[in-house]
Amino acid sequence: MAEQVIEIRGLHKAFGSHEVLKGIDFAANKGEVVCIIGSSGSGKSTLLRCINLLENPDKGKICYHGKDILTDETINMPQYHAKVGMVFQQFNLFGNMTVLENCMTGQMKVLKRSREESMENAMKYLRKVGMEAYVGAKPRQLSGGQKQRVAIARTLSMDPEVILFDEPTSALDPEMVGEVLSVMQNLAQEGMTMLVVTHEMGFARAVADKVVFMDQGVIAEEGTPDQVLGSPKHERLQSFLRSML
Amino acid sequence: MPSTFFGWVGFLLKQYGGLFLSGTLTTLLIALTGTFFGFIIGLLVAIVRTIEIPRGMGPVKRAIRKLAHMLIGVYIQVFRGTPMIVQAMVIYYGSMQYLGIDMERTMAAILIISINTGAYMAEIIRGGIISVDKGQFEAAHSIGMTHWQTMTTVVLPQAIRNILPSVGNELIVNIKDSSVLNVISVSELFFQAKSAAGTYYKYFEVFFIIAVIYLVLTVTVSRVLRFVEKKMDGPDNYVICGSQSDSRSEIVVSKEQEQEVDRQWQSK
Repeated sequence: MAEQVIEIRGLHKAFGSHEVLKGIDFAANKGEVVCIIGSSGSGKSTLLRCINLLENPDKGKICYHGKDILTDETINMPQYHAKVGMVFQQFNLFGNMTVLENCMTGQMKVLKRSREESMENAMKYLRKVGMEAYVGAKPRQLSGGQKQRVAIARTLSMDPEVILFDEPTSALDPEMVGEVLSVMQNLAQEGMTMLVVTHEMGFARAVADKVVFMDQGVIAEEGTPDQVLGSPKHERLQSFLRSML
Repeated sequence: MPSTFFGWVGFLLKQYGGLFLSGTLTTLLIALTGTFFGFIIGLLVAIVRTIEIPRGMGPVKRAIRKLAHMLIGVYIQVFRGTPMIVQAMVIYYGSMQYLGIDMERTMAAILIISINTGAYMAEIIRGGIISVDKGQFEAAHSIGMTHWQTMTTVVLPQAIRNILPSVGNELIVNIKDSSVLNVISVSELFFQAKSAAGTYYKYFEVFFIIAVIYLVLTVTVSRVLRFVEKKMDGPDNYVICGSQSDSRSEIVVSKEQEQEVDRQWQSK
């Protein structure tokens, strides 16, 4: 059996009186690509943000290699963040830095790598996403697709074990979606563990090992892409998939 | 004795040029250092105010944080809510009479301007921090940066760029308003002018000269700040490095060239 990297048990999160997550149980194995789908407001993004601790869950466990990050004092938080990277819908590249600096600063500040090592590593991943030519550019000078590729390179530069993608292509113009998805597909083929919140059903079908359908704060259905997307059992999933066509 | 206006202006400049110059330098010194220290005060206050409550913060720490916030609130209210001329009197004479500290006047002036400016700067910088997109904080946290690292490497550089026009305003206000410190006999420009004007009863001529000096100072400062802003924005162009097969080629893309390409496209 494959090693479990992320395991979530009974996760609850409410914003005020509005309960967004109502008991999520879920696990991702090493090297797995898990696509999380569902209509907006179903709690997909909140789930990812809880895993990255951008939101504090109210109840439940989030285990990383069997250690609960919410209670285990032995976990070094900056190290955890480096190991579990996140790619945002709005890219969130550091606006005051060039493309290269964006990919170096975390390595130097958090992982305490030397300048040379950080630069070498950053260049390696910028080459991988095809953005090595733009090292001197500022984020505001790039297109959406280019920004997202740099954001992926920034996350990769931290040498993460898991990458969380929060609707990485939703803010992009249609013609730029492909370039980002192909970068992600390459990562998946290289065995990166990925949790992807997405509306790209084609991507989910082609790349995912597991598809999770979330509805109203719970996981309504999960299974292989063929099971979930091909023969959905849940009625709301059926209507959701119809609406995606 | 000269008989015309310009005659008097020339005469007074010759007579009191040194005095005006030293007054100008003192004004510049207290305005610049006062704004600088005010900025530092504002920065620290703003950083403290934007710390979020971390998970599992103990009750003692919570209380300290609350107390700090309260003190900061009082500080800002008091120093924004009273005139600087009154603050000068209270601080200077208060510390002399009740604390027995006879402050050097220029030092006292710098202290008063710093504290006063700090109260304004705290709010300006807080506004600057708020103006930085929340995503920048999240991205920094998501790669494991601490609050301090996030602030110093990501947020403050952007916040400071955004508030530079307001900081420039504060500096200009301080150049002008340091004149009120003549009430504690700081030998700044206004104070020197008053003593010069009294000798020949030539108030209009002297203060005409002084007005021109203030204007030159403020105009120069705003020009310099505009230049700094442009520097901070960096160039509009960036260099696309050559591909692997053509490692020495460099293409510089400027806005003009991009627009040219767009035009060619549209005309097709």
